Amino acid sequence: MRKGRVLFCIFLIAVAAYAIHSALGWSFKTRLFPISVSIPLLALATIQLLQVIFGKGETDEGAGLDLDFSSDVPPDVARHRVINTFCWILGFIICVYLVGFPLTVPLFIFFYLKFQSNVSWLHSLAATAITWGIFYTLFQWLVHIQFEPGAIQTWLDL
Amino acid sequence: MFDAFIDGLFLVLQWKAFSLMLVGMGLGFCVGLLPGIGGAATLALMIPFIFKMSPAEAFAFLLGMHSVAATTGDITSVLFGVPGEAISAATVVDGYPMAKKGEAGRALGAALMSSLLGALIGAVALALAIPVVRPLVLTFGSPELFMLSVIGISCITSLSGAGARGQIKGFAMGLLGLLVSTIGQERQSGSLRFDMGIMYLWEGLDFVPVLVGIFAIPEIIDLAVRGTSIAGEGPAENLRSGVMEGIKDTFRHFWLVFRCSVIGVFVGIMPGAGGGVAQWMAYAHSVQSAKDSKDRERFGKGDVRGVLGPGAANNSKEGGELIPTVAFGVPGSGAMAILLSGFLIMGLVPGPDMLTKHLSITFSMVWTLAIANIITVLLCLTVLDQLAKITNVRGGWIIPFVLLLVFVGSYTANGQIADLIVTLIFGMISYFMVLFGWPRPPFVLGFVLGKVIETYLFISMSRYGFTWLKHPIVVLLIILMLVVIAYPYIQKRRGRSGSPANA
Repeated sequence: MRKGRVLFCIFLIAVAAYAIHSALGWSFKTRLFPISVSIPLLALATIQLLQVIFGKGETDEGAGLDLDFSSDVPPDVARHRVINTFCWILGFIICVYLVGFPLTVPLFIFFYLKFQSNVSWLHSLAATAITWGIFYTLFQWLVHIQFEPGAIQTWLDL
Repeated sequence: MFDAFIDGLFLVLQWKAFSLMLVGMGLGFCVGLLPGIGGAATLALMIPFIFKMSPAEAFAFLLGMHSVAATTGDITSVLFGVPGEAISAATVVDGYPMAKKGEAGRALGAALMSSLLGALIGAVALALAIPVVRPLVLTFGSPELFMLSVIGISCITSLSGAGARGQIKGFAMGLLGLLVSTIGQERQSGSLRFDMGIMYLWEGLDFVPVLVGIFAIPEIIDLAVRGTSIAGEGPAENLRSGVMEGIKDTFRHFWLVFRCSVIGVFVGIMPGAGGGVAQWMAYAHSVQSAKDSKDRERFGKGDVRGVLGPGAANNSKEGGELIPTVAFGVPGSGAMAILLSGFLIMGLVPGPDMLTKHLSITFSMVWTLAIANIITVLLCLTVLDQLAKITNVRGGWIIPFVLLLVFVGSYTANGQIADLIVTLIFGMISYFMVLFGWPRPPFVLGFVLGKVIETYLFISMSRYGFTWLKHPIVVLLIILMLVVIAYPYIQKRRGRSGSPANA
């Protein structure tokens, strides 16, 4: 966890340093705001990094007004589930890229319910059909949102 | 004036205007529930339909839709942790933890009732303020508006972490949000900043993909990790009594709701500040109103006061935003700018005429805001029982639908796959922010306000050099900002000196 905290501080320092480095080449008006924001960000992230490395204890660490992740799941299981969920999200985006949004919707709902949530075939198919119906009626038929065709449809000129 | 007030009511109650208001409310209800399709975008889509309507009918339709979207946006914020509207993001912070504790009904009851009170206070403010608001708006120039926005960020950053280290993190996140907002074309010179050669970034990052990623992805991951329903495996809430409890909470904390509504009206009046600021300032005020630092620690963990404040401010700011729009033709937000085009289509010129010749139409807007919100809240209260039951459905069933909602919402921002990638990237950053205890609200507020702050800073510097720092109202606002930053320390010191150990 401490290693992660250090890495996150380094990430912030890198972002601020990149912003300052990029902004130095711009005109005064263009760089005024990014520079005046990046310098204090760099300073605060560095202070935080030093506190994480040399500070004692974590009693003052709370994020205050924010979500706390649940701690009643063993860390290994939690890590596995986090990676698994990110993979599903990434899979969704890749699927949208390959076959487009309208086809991804039923595919994603069905595969997630059937293979991740272990829902029965019947329920998975029914939920998929209902979702696709709502999606089509609302976004394509009523609101007329233009969804980009997927890469496969473009390659095959469909 | 009283005649015009009553005429305004009758204009709204005419069957055609009333029916159109109901249609608008139905649309607003759906729009509010769907992340990404914002109230402003829907207003724009509906403008072509008003050509054949009378002014009272058109405003009943448009305002009915717009005011309801702000109310129902809170529902998904509470149930799934996904803000239905960008202006409902602050409700997530305490509303969703309440749902996780099995208090979804209470949170929804509180959100809806505070929204209703906020809307009514906003409508009353609109009715009362029009003749007296002119000097206030004219007193606030770019330097004052800049400082007002800075105070908005200071409020939330100073309250977002426990102790000095918490404040460092809060300010760092606020600054990161401001920095991210500078991506894209700079407005004054047209120069590109941090675009990394990617054309998508030229326009800057859209609010919706970023906000949805920041708030929804960590919540979805947490739900997947827990492997339970949103409400967990604790005893199920008695929904009806939960909703009633939420309504009672609103009246138990009536003065907090009132103060937050006033904040909403005030921020709404200030052109350009918008709902993003109102909800967070109200949230920060709710936190500040905690009795001591121990009481303050309850926020973010599911404290009903964290739902009441933003709920009230979100809706009261509608009335506030209408004040400069109607009185001077200066729209308070993007949605009001679109509404302004509605005025012009109807052949109405905002300004003195709206306060004299067309006063009854102005009052019909006041009535629309009030009536539309009353009907919506009453309707919502009847179905809340069913809505809150969603939090008891197994996570495995909920996650794919919420993910779909999230990605369809973010895709509608620009209609590009890059929107989904932005959501994923900010979702990952947000996950690590939560994991390592860096607060997200300051980041969001910094991001939402960044462009406005930069514009005001630019105008202030170009027009006054550094002398704007000596403007009396600016000095007053700087002092207020310092008090806001020091307040948690003062509160802590007071708590320590008052504790029995020191007695």
